[in-house]
Amino acid sequence: MDKRNRTTNVLIVGVGGQGVIMVSKVLAQLCQEAGHDVKQSEVHGMAKRGGGVFSHVRFGAKVWSPTIPEGEVDILVALEWAEGLRWIRHLKPETGTFIADCQKIVPPFACRSRKRGAEPAYAPQTPEEIIDQVHAGYVMDATGLAANLGNARAANTVLLGALSTALDFPEEAWAQVIAATVPPKSVQINARAFAEGRAWALGGTKRIDVTASGLQKSRAEVHHPQVETVVEITADWCKGCDICVKSCPERCLRLNDQLKAELALPDLCTGCQLCSWLCPDMAISVTNTPVQEAAS
Amino acid sequence: MKDTKTESAASFDVNDYLRQDRMPHFLCPGCGHGIALRALLWAVHEQGIPKDRLAVVSGIGCSGRLSAYIDANTFHTTHGRPLTFATGLKLARPDLHVIVITGDGDCLAIGGNHLIHACRRNLDITCVMLNNEIYGMTGGQVSPMTAEGRFTTTTPEGNTEPNFDACALAAAAGASFVGREVTAQVLALKTLLGQAIAHEGFSFVEVLSDCTEIYGRKNDLGASPEMMLAKKSAMRPYAYRNTVDVPFRPNALRTGVLTRTDRPEYGAAWRAMAARIRNEEH
Repeated sequence: MDKRNRTTNVLIVGVGGQGVIMVSKVLAQLCQEAGHDVKQSEVHGMAKRGGGVFSHVRFGAKVWSPTIPEGEVDILVALEWAEGLRWIRHLKPETGTFIADCQKIVPPFACRSRKRGAEPAYAPQTPEEIIDQVHAGYVMDATGLAANLGNARAANTVLLGALSTALDFPEEAWAQVIAATVPPKSVQINARAFAEGRAWALGGTKRIDVTASGLQKSRAEVHHPQVETVVEITADWCKGCDICVKSCPERCLRLNDQLKAELALPDLCTGCQLCSWLCPDMAISVTNTPVQEAAS
Repeated sequence: MKDTKTESAASFDVNDYLRQDRMPHFLCPGCGHGIALRALLWAVHEQGIPKDRLAVVSGIGCSGRLSAYIDANTFHTTHGRPLTFATGLKLARPDLHVIVITGDGDCLAIGGNHLIHACRRNLDITCVMLNNEIYGMTGGQVSPMTAEGRFTTTTPEGNTEPNFDACALAAAAGASFVGREVTAQVLALKTLLGQAIAHEGFSFVEVLSDCTEIYGRKNDLGASPEMMLAKKSAMRPYAYRNTVDVPFRPNALRTGVLTRTDRPEYGAAWRAMAARIRNEEH
């Protein structure tokens, strides 16, 4: 892949705090030491709040632009599954390599349904579907591997190990740059994480290994039982003060012709109980009964 | 917050604590007193106080009528004197949880003297002052909590007197637990009232309530949802005190637990003295 006369493009994407910048720093440093011209460009503004982070790394005999055009990415490294899918159209259709952690970080905007027990609207694509679309693909449980080594935060180094198999640099050069970049206390675990990731990726060019903390199970998923909500409004007690109508987060209440509160849009009600707490006339009662799940 | 929050919300039914034959209550539409009453009953429920161990004493005014709706031992007393009746009740029956519901006029004007002496004694009573800044029931006269410049029936050109800071007053007089909360923050209000009930000693809670029909109308403060939310956004939660100097509005009142001191409770000292005298007589 490393031909002196052309630019190699690596795009690293993930969620703030996962170590996207660290991966791109290691790669850029390595390329520079190998005598390439390197340009790196990143966006990490809202990273601290769990927003998306991406970093372009381009190297070759001479690099003219710091950013990679769409469809020109040789290797896409995704530290988070949905972030990888977000950028996958930037991958070179014929020869691109896709390396992803199956780690799932559900963003707040994927939780648009505020009903209890609602499924977040997360990327529904399966790893198999995605791997079929790319030239070479690796979907690994980097976070799980790193956690087994003792620190889940070393997941980015596991991915570096996988990345190292797709580029033409000697293994020792990678190890040296990683050791020089990471904090002194974590040199050992990062060295082991790198070796683990490299060994895993050498096992085949279209590998899927979704285990422990994989797509089926994510740290963000907490099981809330689905509930059946019943809103009872005692019309005789209601004085039509409008507090419940104005304070309902889902805007599902209204005052009827007799200026009594009524549940106009029951489908929107999430059973949050705010109306019953704020009703000065104690006319509203909200009961949430857990729905018995048939299967489990 | 712990998981118990949703649990207590599920197990609490306000109708268990209301005298069903008296409902609906007499309060105007949108009156904040109703929200405060519900929060108080919720706090009582959370503290696990049985209804026959609960005694609610109230004075005169809109707030005074609230005791009539509570299905417990209730005592509707004379104007400004609920704390006085409550003091006698608590000394005679220390096994009861005595809660006083009072208003700003009841507590600070007519009953101002009783309040400071109740604070000074530090008897184990919970005093809930519902502050709507006006004498609502009698037709909207100015109260000691009416803010400067506000219009009432007796201040048609605007109030020229400064108002009390009731919490500072209670703390200075010696109340060992002082807190303030708005009605819109129901969970915070419920938690604060629960802490006040659990506190050993005199606890004073100022609930910033809304009088929509008279105060809101005379001062053009909008309908009850607007009044309630305006109060909520004007407040400064006590938890912010070290990080934000003027977070929402200048001169905003602080909310949350404002004072909490460890002073000897009066009832114990009084009972010890009574026992000593009884022993000397025999």
